[in-house]
Amino acid sequence: MAAPFSRLCRPLWRITTTSTLNKGVRNVSSSRQQWSAQNVKTAGAASPWALNGAVCLQRLPVVSEDGSPIEEEFMELMHLMEFERSLLSDHELRLLEDAARMSRKQEGDYDSDEEDYRDNEIVTAQDLEDIWEQKPKQFQPAPRSQGVDEKDMSSSERCLADSLILLVKKDVGSQKLWLLPQIQWQTGETLRQTAERALASLPGADKKATFLGNAPCGYYKYKYPKVIQKEGSVGAKVFFFKAVLSSHKHLPLEKNSFAWVKKEELQDFLKPEYLKQVRRFIMAL
Amino acid sequence: MAGIVCRTASQIISSQASCSSVLAVRHSHWFTSVLSLKTSIPLRAEPKKKKKVDPRREIMMKERLKKKLKRLEKVPPELIPIEDFITPAKCFDETRIRDAPKLSFEESERRALLLKEWSRYKYSQHQTEMDTIEEALEAQRQALDELKLESEELYKAAVSSDMDLFPFQREGPSYTPPITNYEAPEGKYNNITRVYTQ
Repeated sequence: MAAPFSRLCRPLWRITTTSTLNKGVRNVSSSRQQWSAQNVKTAGAASPWALNGAVCLQRLPVVSEDGSPIEEEFMELMHLMEFERSLLSDHELRLLEDAARMSRKQEGDYDSDEEDYRDNEIVTAQDLEDIWEQKPKQFQPAPRSQGVDEKDMSSSERCLADSLILLVKKDVGSQKLWLLPQIQWQTGETLRQTAERALASLPGADKKATFLGNAPCGYYKYKYPKVIQKEGSVGAKVFFFKAVLSSHKHLPLEKNSFAWVKKEELQDFLKPEYLKQVRRFIMAL
Repeated sequence: MAGIVCRTASQIISSQASCSSVLAVRHSHWFTSVLSLKTSIPLRAEPKKKKKVDPRREIMMKERLKKKLKRLEKVPPELIPIEDFITPAKCFDETRIRDAPKLSFEESERRALLLKEWSRYKYSQHQTEMDTIEEALEAQRQALDELKLESEELYKAAVSSDMDLFPFQREGPSYTPPITNYEAPEGKYNNITRVYTQ
């Protein structure tokens, strides 16, 4: 069980909770002959950890990132090298021909009968280029930054180039903490259904999200303060499930209780221990 | 049938040839002579004699055709050409070659150094990507271990494969964000791809 990169707090947890956990395991194995629902109930009753399901809802980037300076430089170099090694295209040959014809026209001994007349006379290649340049200007694409204030955390339109995570401010005990949306597990449902319920219970427009698989992507374990600890409950375990936001109506959420946050800004919102576990599975590539 | 009747008739007539009054009665040119064997069209046309020879001939014809077919089928089918692998003739045109520019020493140095810098940058990027993935996988593995300690049923439900997830489709990021309520203009195009059949 000793992982090569164990955290400092984990061995302590192991020592304090091995006794209670073993009890839980023994109870589960003895009642295995019973049906699954009952099995789940007995497991829940035996272990002192309350189970919660949480959802890590991500709004993936809508717009591509700006490249770093080296990327920009390298891209320019690649374009240049490709251009140098390429062959002349039909359009370029036409440009050269037109230029040669113009220079011949300027000379004194110009005999127009020698030219073989083609359609090139009417529309030169340069004119075509100008037409081509004008055409895309008729289409106005949406601006990249979308004009939303970057500091407005409750809007999901901010920072279109990064992936954002939804955070909720919740009462935990006596404090108000920023958390990923979570809800208590009920008997008879899987943890993924708990996470879906957590997502659905959020006020605001219904967010259509795709859950990425049945397995949790991370967990966070914490003990209740001594005052609240009873016989059967030591603490709670929160299991996180990843979901990707597919589409939703852009209704504004309450500023004080909801936030769409980038990975770098997470540390301003979350508690250090919680943050340490959550950071592991949030990939800001 | 008619031939048999004629043959019997001719036998009767020939037996009474001397006293018959069929002397030189050539009512029609089909009867050549009274005395000779009466042959009519059906007899002379010989439809019935193709009994043994023709079936054999037909069988021989069929066998010859089959052999020809087999020889044709043995030839392997012509391979469909991959158009990407055939350089078009335009590329070998000499008039299209661009003049190679002469690079100064500084420019070639800058290029070489930038290429090396790029390889270092890409290597570090790859390392960070791999590390991030490893970290996420490890977090998931530990979460599953914890869940197993909690209850077997939940663990099994978590480990079971999700049928609805695949095929998974998502549009990636574009350069500009999508315009809300945008109606794209209808466009026409002519499909000129070549379709080959074997």
